[in-house]
Amino acid sequence: MNKNVILEVLMKCNRCGLCQEVCPTYRVSGNEFAVARGRNRLIRMAIEGQLEFDKEPEIEQFINECLLCKACETNCPSGVPTPELISQVREYYTSTKGLPIAKKIMYRGVFSHNKRIDLVRRLAKVYQKTGIKTLVRMTGVNNIFNKADDMLPDLPKNSVRGQLPMLLKNIHQPKYKVAYFLGCSVNNFFSSIGVATIKVLQKNSCQIIVPDVNCCGAPHNSAGDQREFKRLAIKNLKELAKLDPDAIIVDCSTCGSILKEYVGLFENEPEYQKLAKQIAEKVKDISSFLIEIGFKKEMGEIKARVTYHDPCHGVRFLNVQEAPREILKSIPGIELIEMNEADMCCGGAGSYSIFYPKLSRQILSRKINNFKKTGASILATSCPACTMQLSFGMKLHELTSPVKHPVELLAEAYDNKAK
Amino acid sequence: MLKNEIINKLRKIVGSENVLNSKITMTTYAYDSSPFLGKPGAVVFPTTTEMIVEIIKLANKYNIPVTPRGAGTCLCGGAVGVEDAIIISLAKFNRILEINAVNRTALVEPGVVNKELQLAAEPYGLMYAPDPASQNVSTIGGNIAENAGGIRGVKYGCTKEHVLGLEVVLPSGEVITTGGLNSQVDPEIDLTYIFCGAEGTLGLVTKALLSLTPINSDTKTMTAVFATLEDAGACVSEIIAKGVIPTTMEILDNTVIKAVEDYAKLGLPKDAAALILLEVDGFPAETKAMVENIIQAFKNNNSINYKIAKDEKERQDLWKARRAVNGALGKLKPSNVVHDIVVPRDRLAVMLKKVAKIAEKYDIIIGQVAHAGDGNLHPTLYYDHRIPKEADVIEEACDEIIKETINEGGTISGEHGIGLEKLKYMPLAFSQPSLDYMKKIKESFDPENRTNPGILLP
Ligand SMILES: Cc1cc2nc3c(=O)[nH]c(=O)nc-3n(C[C@H](O)[C@H](O)[C@H](O)COP(=O)(O)OP(=O)(O)OC[C@H]3O[C@@H](n4cnc5c(N)ncnc54)[C@H](O)[C@@H]3O)c2cc1C
Ligand code: SF4
Ligand code: SF4
Repeated sequence: MNKNVILEVLMKCNRCGLCQEVCPTYRVSGNEFAVARGRNRLIRMAIEGQLEFDKEPEIEQFINECLLCKACETNCPSGVPTPELISQVREYYTSTKGLPIAKKIMYRGVFSHNKRIDLVRRLAKVYQKTGIKTLVRMTGVNNIFNKADDMLPDLPKNSVRGQLPMLLKNIHQPKYKVAYFLGCSVNNFFSSIGVATIKVLQKNSCQIIVPDVNCCGAPHNSAGDQREFKRLAIKNLKELAKLDPDAIIVDCSTCGSILKEYVGLFENEPEYQKLAKQIAEKVKDISSFLIEIGFKKEMGEIKARVTYHDPCHGVRFLNVQEAPREILKSIPGIELIEMNEADMCCGGAGSYSIFYPKLSRQILSRKINNFKKTGASILATSCPACTMQLSFGMKLHELTSPVKHPVELLAEAYDNKAK
Repeated sequence: MLKNEIINKLRKIVGSENVLNSKITMTTYAYDSSPFLGKPGAVVFPTTTEMIVEIIKLANKYNIPVTPRGAGTCLCGGAVGVEDAIIISLAKFNRILEINAVNRTALVEPGVVNKELQLAAEPYGLMYAPDPASQNVSTIGGNIAENAGGIRGVKYGCTKEHVLGLEVVLPSGEVITTGGLNSQVDPEIDLTYIFCGAEGTLGLVTKALLSLTPINSDTKTMTAVFATLEDAGACVSEIIAKGVIPTTMEILDNTVIKAVEDYAKLGLPKDAAALILLEVDGFPAETKAMVENIIQAFKNNNSINYKIAKDEKERQDLWKARRAVNGALGKLKPSNVVHDIVVPRDRLAVMLKKVAKIAEKYDIIIGQVAHAGDGNLHPTLYYDHRIPKEADVIEEACDEIIKETINEGGTISGEHGIGLEKLKYMPLAFSQPSLDYMKKIKESFDPENRTNPGILLP
């Protein structure tokens, strides 16, 4: 978007203030500079020349404190796409100043390369298992990475990709041919989700192909690193275009929404856009896909009270709200109970929790308190980024309740039947 | 700019994390939901009455104006303050102290959001009746200061009908309690109501005792479409004449119907002159009788199409048109001014027509939604402030609307307040003796004119 277009969009914000109700950063801070209305006002003043982006570090801070959770936009009577505007400003900052060094190492240096993520995972695993942890901490080498360490889940021994030869089966007379977009978080940090997705799909007569894709680019996009985002998008589009599946399955809401966002990314490159559109049409969140095909109901019991947290990228980007709940309700023994503000961001927002720990933890505590009030013993959600943040929240609040993907519970119920 | 010395003293009172004064944070407290801008010197977030007393005393000592602020959804510029004012934000002074289900009362701090109170009362089968369209974010303090009304206002009245007593920090720094918050027995000179609608010019509300209302067991929702405004106006009169008091009775005019239909595709007839949205509540036996009477009125007044919601889903469908108004009209033009005029109920149709004529005359878009039950109209003028042809005529068109309102025996504000916006119309709406008297009251509370100066009284 150029300046004039941005200004045009900004003018739709008539400062009604209704975003205060849903903006998580406002809910926990009560500050007008931490709500869509205030952020839009600052952007507008800077674009109109009354303030200068580069001379006011506070503007950058308030812009970066946005979670890009889209709650404001969904609730806004004038439909102001605040997250889009914020992304534009971040892109401006990144293009003029470059990425902050920590983000650069983390995103371009690690997430951009499958092998390096795997290496980091393995190193981190060693680091978790051995006492090096405390040693590194004591030296205080790098504050940022220490914070990241607090949040890291207990890492699995093997990535999903490493287990594929054992997991993937030839399905006899498959009903569907699906591509499984195995995202980096599930692959490296939450392999149990990936394993469950594969099991459940195979149980439902799907022949699975797991293409050799890269990171979807979500972290790069949210940091305003459009160049790298594009590079990754092109690689993934090319990889996916080689296949012709009935559906491209995602079990990570973030990956799913980002794959769909490729369409807008290539506004000015019709060839890629065409490809992106074809692919976007096939992208399906696992729960919605299962509902659509009428998944198998032969399950054993799981006795538990469960509540569901809507990932921002699920409920507002992919419009997935009912499907995961339907799946949970279908499992014998599960009592699904709604929590307050189920669709409010958990404060994870990618690496937000690392760079804005104070706000992030306040938002997280609000979420965990809402969870506690339900009396549920399991918190279900459909995005590994949320899983990481919510599990961290459980730890902070000294709770032992697990955070699980609906598909993990479904896989377990299938297994329970077999027993 | 306020001197550092003052900022430091404010920090001592409320804690440094509760004082803002940087340039950038100030720009985000310079506005409310009106087009007016202020230039605050500092924003403070007190969380006790004592803190507010200290702030007021400090402000008095250094002769600094103060402006109370809730959620900042004021539509008339009442919450932005004059230059270098200390904005006292009540947003974090926001606990619900008690819900008393037996007495049907709630005791709250001023920063409580209207909706939070609704949610807290609901488990007791109670509601807080005033429900301004901003209720999901606007605060009880702001509601009291503006005497906010809502969609249920026809039946339940505005905010002041539900305020039983107040604690107020006066401009002198003294604290008083009024009405139901006093331990004394009647009779007293009840000062409660002088603060309702005073727009924060007489003191800061720091606690409010509110009355709660039982939620009725049954609700029926209806819409009716009319080919002429006369028919719609006559229908409203007949419904009221029959003794039916709806909870909601909203009229949408043709401009709004067209915009909503283009935007939300609900199947509304785009040539209709008016759409009425009606809701009644009560026990099922009551609502049944009311619905029968209303349908009769629809028929008697040539409604071309009416609907009654059978279930909650259909009810939500009927509400869709009303809910889509802002979004639909907002799509047309980037800027707008909303008016808040009131005319006697029997002049409603005439007034709607006159405003439509004014739109034609100046070649601008004016969408009209009215709370028909109490004669409160919200003509909203949509324009592009960058197109001189449009921007230049807005003020003239507004002046004409106000003039016609007074001609019809009406007044300039039903619920949004005077603030900065309607100052210039005050002499039109009130006689000189009335204005003088209001000024005398202001002077007796605030002789130095330090609490929210510059608004309400010309
Ligand atoms: C989308 C939208 C819809 C609206 N719909 C309605 C409606 O249906 N009906 C209606 O009546 N209004 C409506 N309004 C106007 C507005 O929401 C109300 O006037 C509301 O009461 C303001 O509350 P607030 O908390 O935002 O107060 P603010 O805007 O912060 O302040 C309003 C005024 O009250 C004063 N004030 C605030 N707190 C206190 C206090 N504790 N003590 C003394 N003075 C105080 C301020 O100085 C200011 O003058 C609407 C506004 C918007 C943006
Ligand atoms: S972003 Fe939307 S909801 Fe928020 S103030 Fe602007 S118009 Fe209102
Ligand atoms: S995207 Fe989320 S955090 Fe950002 S302004 Fe909107 S509601 Fe607030």
